[in-house]
Amino acid sequence: MKQFVLFIAISFSCFSHAQNAEDVITKINNKFNAVKDYSVNVYIQANIPMLKIMPNKGKLYFKQKDKVKIDSKGITVLPKQGFTELNSFLNEKGAYMAIFGDSVMIRGVKTKLINVIPNNSASDIILVKLWVDLQNNIILRSQLTTKSNGSINIDYSYTDQINYGLPNQLKFEIDVKKFKIPKSIAGDINKTNQQEKTTKEIDKGTITVNFTEYKVNIGLKDEIFSKN
Amino acid sequence: MLLKNTYNELIKIVSKPRSFLGFGALSLLIAIILFAMKADGSSIVSMVTDSFEQTLTFNGNVINGNLIAFIILQMLIVHVPLLIALVTGDLISGEAAMGTIRMMASKPISRTQIVLSKFIAGALYTLLITLWLGFLALFVSHFIFGSGDLIVLNSDGLVILPEADVFWRFGLGFCVAFLSLLTVSALSIFLSAYSENSIGPIVATMSIILVFTIIGSLDASVFNSIKPYMFTTHMAAWRSFFSAEVPFNAIYQSIVILVLHIFSFLGMTLYKFNKKDITS
Amino acid sequence: MSETTVIQVKDLNKKFGDFEAIKNVSFHVNEGDVFGFLGPNGAGKSTTIRCLLSLIQPNRGEIQLFGKHLHTNRKEILSRIGCIIEKPDFYKYLSAQKNLEIFARISGAEVSAKEIEGMLEFVGLADRAKHKVKGFSHGMKQRLGIAQTLLHKPDLIILDEPTTGLDPQGIIEVRNLILRLKNEQHKTILLSSHQLSEIEMIANRMVIINKGHSIVEGSVSDLLNAEELLVKFEVNDADKAKTLLSAYTVKAINTTTIEILLNRNEISSINKKLVEANVLVNAIEPKRKLEDFFIKTIQN
Repeated sequence: MKQFVLFIAISFSCFSHAQNAEDVITKINNKFNAVKDYSVNVYIQANIPMLKIMPNKGKLYFKQKDKVKIDSKGITVLPKQGFTELNSFLNEKGAYMAIFGDSVMIRGVKTKLINVIPNNSASDIILVKLWVDLQNNIILRSQLTTKSNGSINIDYSYTDQINYGLPNQLKFEIDVKKFKIPKSIAGDINKTNQQEKTTKEIDKGTITVNFTEYKVNIGLKDEIFSKN
Repeated sequence: MLLKNTYNELIKIVSKPRSFLGFGALSLLIAIILFAMKADGSSIVSMVTDSFEQTLTFNGNVINGNLIAFIILQMLIVHVPLLIALVTGDLISGEAAMGTIRMMASKPISRTQIVLSKFIAGALYTLLITLWLGFLALFVSHFIFGSGDLIVLNSDGLVILPEADVFWRFGLGFCVAFLSLLTVSALSIFLSAYSENSIGPIVATMSIILVFTIIGSLDASVFNSIKPYMFTTHMAAWRSFFSAEVPFNAIYQSIVILVLHIFSFLGMTLYKFNKKDITS
Repeated sequence: MSETTVIQVKDLNKKFGDFEAIKNVSFHVNEGDVFGFLGPNGAGKSTTIRCLLSLIQPNRGEIQLFGKHLHTNRKEILSRIGCIIEKPDFYKYLSAQKNLEIFARISGAEVSAKEIEGMLEFVGLADRAKHKVKGFSHGMKQRLGIAQTLLHKPDLIILDEPTTGLDPQGIIEVRNLILRLKNEQHKTILLSSHQLSEIEMIANRMVIINKGHSIVEGSVSDLLNAEELLVKFEVNDADKAKTLLSAYTVKAINTTTIEILLNRNEISSINKKLVEANVLVNAIEPKRKLEDFFIKTIQN
């Protein structure tokens, strides 16, 4: 009986909050969907254990629904997931259930946690947590947990493109414990003292992407994304 | 007399077919590597970046001339000593086998000058081989694959070096690689002074490098005390220029040890050759 | 002949491990000499010659060339010597001309391209100048060796077995060349050879060494004249001749040939005696006396 009451209480709580949470997501989606395409200058700084890369500049092109391309003079490193997956996923109505969680202050802004749970258990995404500024309908933090790659935490900062929900900075925090360098492939086989570091497990790495000079809805052609 | 005999030694090296074997072998090997990278470069590179690419994406021209040059260097620097020893290991012993050392040593040229001229000629040959390797590795692969940032896989992780930050590393890397090969050259000339046939010093040089390299790569603590002094440990010092933060102190140390080896081998060759009774 | 000493060797010793290759070898060679250096195989000839050229460091003894110590004046001394040791070896992958250029460069003298051409002409290899040595016969290499020896106009020429492996024609060519060097250019020549007849024909002084020791040294004519000579007489009646010369040790070889052991200065008187007794003398031939002298010396 006690268990039954608890089940009813949780179900009611979820149902009553789900409407609101999904409304918030819809508002976020609408804001974002107003952006058909954009180009923006990016400055990428990565601080990832076992990966040393200098900060790099580039130009990022985006076109709905999930076309992304980075032009840069050199090599840039970005998280494999987190750029388009989240928006694509949130745009799939009925693919998930959204539930409000606690309120949290992030960089002085009051945010509300929304837990987004996929309905399809076959989906790679296990759980999405969104910390949303309800006043501006923007995401200030997200956590994407996938079966294949663990968790990616993203912190969002906004300035001039807040109306479109386009951040001026994204800070990704990714799991790096999977990185293993096989000694046989690494060229410096004589460096025996490095062995210890390769097996040492370091959990998190960050990639910070600063966005400047957004050009929104400029009618980007599809060919831009097909060029290598 | 030293310059005149160095010129003689260069003529001899240039006239021997085996001297071109090194250039030919390098060209062929590099052509094969370039072909393989052109045909299947991305899968070859993904073997290295695989564990990163589960979480990260690498954007930009990853397979570029700099990466190919680095791969070529890394693959071939192990084999170049053989090509060097093939010529330098024959410089004294080859003349003993042919009998011409008798003719030379009865001329008014000191034995020290004979050894030094052979060493200088051997060093020039080594330099030419290194430059040829550099030319093929850097310029030809840049011509075919273009330029770009360099991804280097070290045992402590991946390093991505900006394109503008790469050329000086290659330049200094080649200088240290030359020093390593010069050590091999000096070793083979030293062994050549002990032998009266051509094959012995070449095989002995490669055997020494092989044994020392194996000792160097064994994680056995019993060898830890000698590893820092083995020249083979420092033969890969060129690679340190491709660390994110170049360990200049370690490189200086490697240079000192390689130079000490070169002078030791040269000194021992001079001692041996000056004392040697030429009975061939 | 001037008596300036070009080579002075005193008590030369060389050991290879426990083996004493040469023991107290001493001799001297005067300016203008064609000096025969004789000895059986393993006697220490090559070791001595190699010591003279600083190819081998002696354990003891003194070598002076041109009045200077070899040890302290090596460069200067070697620039005045041309040599072939045992056999001339060249860079097989280079042409005859390139080989000469290489050796000329380290000979201590300025040798022009024209002089190299001239020298190849001199030894009869002008038409093979551009050919690689690997295709040369032994005789051609030997001639090239001589060209290399003479290239820088040395004062002393050391030839160690210069006729080894040569055909009769080649031997004659080398012999004539040595005689030309002696007679026309007045070079001092140290000649080591197994061809005793060669030495006898062209050397004026000699030393014989055996088992590392120098046994005999002196003027070839003096050494040989001091010895009794086996002389072959070809006559019309050997029996009559034998009877006439009963005071001598005479051996009848056949009906027309006798051999007599006598001193060199007795040959003419014996000839006179035979002719006066109506024995016709068709030929007088001293039999290979150096060979006999050599064998006798070695055996003693």
